[in-house]
Amino acid sequence: MTAMTAKTTSRSLLGTAIPYLLAILASFAAAGIFIALMGFDVLRAYSTILFTSFRTANGFIQTLLKFVPLLLQALAFTIPLTAGKFNIGGEGQLLAGAIGSTAVGIAFSHLPPALLLPLVILAGVAAGALWGLIPGWLLYRFGINEILTTVLLNFVAFSLVNYVATGPWRDQGAGHPMTVAIGEGGFLPMLINNPPLNAGIIVAIIVAALVYFYTTRTVAGYELVATGANPRAAKTFGIKTRLMFISSLVIAGAVGGLSGALEVAGVQHRLIEGMQSNFLVLGLIIGLIAKGNNLAVPFIAFFISVLEVGASAMQRTLLIPVEMVFIVEALILVFVLLSDVVRRR
Amino acid sequence: MDAILVSIVAYAKLILLSMVPFVLAGQGTMLGGRTGVFNVAQEGIMLVGASVGFLVSYLSGSIVLGMAAAMAAGALFGLALAYFTTHLKMDQFVIGLALFFIGVGLSTLLPKLIIGVTLTPPLVPTLKDLPVPLLSKIPLLGEIFFNQNVLVYVSILVSVALWWYLYRTKLGLELRSVGENPQAADSLGINVTRARYWSAIIGGMMIGLAGAYLPMVYTGTFTEGMVKGRGWLAIALTFFGGWKPLTILYGAAFFATIEVLAYRVQVVGTGIPYQFLLMLPYLATIVVMILTFGKTRAPAFLGQNYDRERRAL
Repeated sequence: MTAMTAKTTSRSLLGTAIPYLLAILASFAAAGIFIALMGFDVLRAYSTILFTSFRTANGFIQTLLKFVPLLLQALAFTIPLTAGKFNIGGEGQLLAGAIGSTAVGIAFSHLPPALLLPLVILAGVAAGALWGLIPGWLLYRFGINEILTTVLLNFVAFSLVNYVATGPWRDQGAGHPMTVAIGEGGFLPMLINNPPLNAGIIVAIIVAALVYFYTTRTVAGYELVATGANPRAAKTFGIKTRLMFISSLVIAGAVGGLSGALEVAGVQHRLIEGMQSNFLVLGLIIGLIAKGNNLAVPFIAFFISVLEVGASAMQRTLLIPVEMVFIVEALILVFVLLSDVVRRR
Repeated sequence: MDAILVSIVAYAKLILLSMVPFVLAGQGTMLGGRTGVFNVAQEGIMLVGASVGFLVSYLSGSIVLGMAAAMAAGALFGLALAYFTTHLKMDQFVIGLALFFIGVGLSTLLPKLIIGVTLTPPLVPTLKDLPVPLLSKIPLLGEIFFNQNVLVYVSILVSVALWWYLYRTKLGLELRSVGENPQAADSLGINVTRARYWSAIIGGMMIGLAGAYLPMVYTGTFTEGMVKGRGWLAIALTFFGGWKPLTILYGAAFFATIEVLAYRVQVVGTGIPYQFLLMLPYLATIVVMILTFGKTRAPAFLGQNYDRERRAL
């Protein structure tokens, strides 16, 4: 069964890749016209966007650092999507995780790394899982649509971050709301010191592999897939579908929380207001472009990371706003969706 | 005694003022949904409306032109949603999210391209109060209801007009039938495609205008992410308002009350950290969703795409 699927996948790999490539070309062309009309140099803009990641070691490491939260945010979206549920609360879960990690990292700052680092990471994962449990429970207990509750909890998390970052732990020296640093024992070890790359990337890749293994090779994961494919049939065959919904949201919350924990332990070493950046929307775009396929997610997440790093460079050197690239990314999604329409006909 | 009365009047006036974005966005969502087109791009469309409305009134010096531009931008998003879901039969939620992303991106891109990054934000004049002759002279009530900006009147009149249209006219009945059972509507000669297009486009216009209200009444300028979830709250409002114009109007008053209270308590100071007050609108929405669960119903065909050539099982 699995061998057969693998065979058909490799045969149709080209068939899958072509619409994606066309979608990318089409959105670059569409945005290119706009950039040209604004009087910017299109070719220089595009070579900056596409190649900044590969020109220098620093560019590549920047890309990897971006890749970690984007990959995890995309997975926090695609895991419940497997069960047919939409988690639009990735940034709330990231922030809950970041709050959890920071709290433990500051409260137990004297602990040695062997104790503090696992505690910091676990606290982030647990806080994120808790943040995912709320919409999961509301869905389970009252049947309340998870789309709205996950979104609304993001805004609750924003206020909570502001509360923590301006409270007793506030870094008085900083102009922007942020806490003091966590204990050094809670810092993720470095893989490379200069330019700095922390071990978060390894954690993220392991999680992506585990998610793929879970959804394709385990019974629980299969039940998740079956629930998403046809909830009624799944229920008839004895799968506790409502339990699947809640557990998928809790797992997604844990993964989202992990993205916050890794940002704290690996990059920022503290809680900063606004640290969620635009990771949620990018994660959603990645998950939707991948059409929920957990194997495709890491590759698309990497591609989007390349574009994002290129976008910042483009804004610095050519003064074209970064949002231009965000529009390109959204357009890629639209064209990928359009390619489905074409194929259906 | 007088002081209390004055502050009650002030609160009531403020609540009506703050209702407008929720009313417009909620009714816009409702109108599209009544033909089955479920818009989830509100947050993005409101941001675009705020951005375009601000830019056009900044460049032209005319608030009216700004509002018209915001409505046109909203209409374009509605048109895109209708085209993608009615003609191309794409998943409504997914394409709605894509439009939300495009809206978020455009809303910050446009000011950066047109005005550039400035140290102090450029300001546009905000919408003035427009007292209704005679009626505004009624003691107390006149001040609350008839001494407001023009969009307060418009949003209430639009709500009542929509109620009348949907529940008291044949055309409205036909429109509702499209969202309940398009196959039946189609067989009675109602043009399902046209109904879906128009309701999505006009709905989009209202949502765009809801966004433009924020810079034009509250801040006088556009700031990134200034909609602050009001678009998502409007979806929740439409659901617990049972997709009925008048209930949505009351629901919007509820949102506005919480927003005003949270703001006032913050100013007065009660020892409650203000961040927890800022959470109130979102938490209250979740509580209301729990309370109204199962008591309201959405259009039966909401979020689905109609294919007249599909077999009826």
